[in-house]
Amino acid sequence: MEKKKLLIVEDDVVLKNSLEEFLIAEGFEVSSALDGEIGVEKAFAEKPDLILLDIVLPKKDGYEVLAEIKANPETTHIPVVLLTNLGSIADVEKALALGATTYLIKADYKLDEITQKIREILNLK
Amino acid sequence: MLGAKLKKRIYNEFNLKKQAEELGLKVWQTPSFLFIVMGFVIVVAIAGVYFISNNYDSPDILVISESVVVSILFIIGNFIISSVDQVARANKMKTEFISIASHQLKTPIAEINWQIELLLSKFPGGLSEKQQLLIGQIAHSSQKMARLVGDLLDVAHIDQGKLALNKEQINLCDIINEAVMNQRPLASAAEIELKYLGSAVPLEVLVDRRRIVVVLDNLISNAIKYTGEKGRVEILLEKKDELVQVCIRDNGVGIPRNEQTDIFKKFFRSNNKMKNNTEGTGLGLYIAKNIIEQSGGKLWFQSIENTGSEFFFSLPLAKA
Repeated sequence: MEKKKLLIVEDDVVLKNSLEEFLIAEGFEVSSALDGEIGVEKAFAEKPDLILLDIVLPKKDGYEVLAEIKANPETTHIPVVLLTNLGSIADVEKALALGATTYLIKADYKLDEITQKIREILNLK
Repeated sequence: MLGAKLKKRIYNEFNLKKQAEELGLKVWQTPSFLFIVMGFVIVVAIAGVYFISNNYDSPDILVISESVVVSILFIIGNFIISSVDQVARANKMKTEFISIASHQLKTPIAEINWQIELLLSKFPGGLSEKQQLLIGQIAHSSQKMARLVGDLLDVAHIDQGKLALNKEQINLCDIINEAVMNQRPLASAAEIELKYLGSAVPLEVLVDRRRIVVVLDNLISNAIKYTGEKGRVEILLEKKDELVQVCIRDNGVGIPRNEQTDIFKKFFRSNNKMKNNTEGTGLGLYIAKNIIEQSGGKLWFQSIENTGSEFFFSLPLAKA
């Protein structure tokens, strides 16, 4: 089966690397971006199967990135999972209203649980 | 009983020193003190007006004396408002501080947890059994810290009215199963029988799965912690019309009667005999009650000291 392509947009290098290595070991093809601008560029160029997106990012924040991805007809169908440590009603409602599939609080989720969530969204066993 | 409560309340109302300490104000700034002064001024003013109108036949003097009294009352009123305002601002700042601090702490905690998980699950080669055990213990401590910081952030969000729930339709029986599995090691370590019979039919509810697991973890672990060795903890599930009701019952130390009105307050910890034997911040029940209420349900309890406690919560069943 062809590997599913994921894009991680996360500015914390340690978090990005851990997640990236774990997902590669789990059999995904992973690319990443450390700021919002590159995140949008990569999303448009690579058209991944799913995007993991942080909210607090340099250059463009997660909300802007999400809005641009959803505004582009070529990427609007891509499920976007927000990875955040915010998690107040306002943050969540804003993200869901912009078209995010769901959100996960980083400190509350194990890498394994995030992987399961990704598989669920992509309908993988 | 009522007399004792009233006495305690009056005592607290007039214990100005304690009030000043609690609010972080000077004694003369406490609302109770200012109210007493205001009451005193009103009494003196009424007597004064009576005295003046009896002895002087001049409306000018009456008007001037009344104006003086009104001015004094106005000044005291102003003090009361400013001290209440000061307390409210300090409270808001404290909540914001907790919110920012715990938010900042969450990133390094996630870094530690994810790296340990990556190491143990994907790169365990070369690690001796002892090394793996030690790393596992570090991971456990870090998860404990994550929960603590998460609790503080939840409390700050609850106080600001901003707690977010990521709701999905799910079978409550599965969530209870998960929570019971989480607590099994704690129960067997304390030689406590943990019993859950479940339900033959699925009971779908619309909730934030992780948060309901937290509620159940809190209630079941409390039941275990406050039940002596060889005790029993039961979880019962019942469908009632449009609701599903969960009961966590133990035969533990129970909650002293005089503390029963306080147990849902923030940072409250019972003074029963198990207090020093158990860990806890006193935030669990406060958070649990808020999560259940925000999910459209109710949380309540009944308890008899030295006999046991029953904690109940109900949730509306999801529409098919």
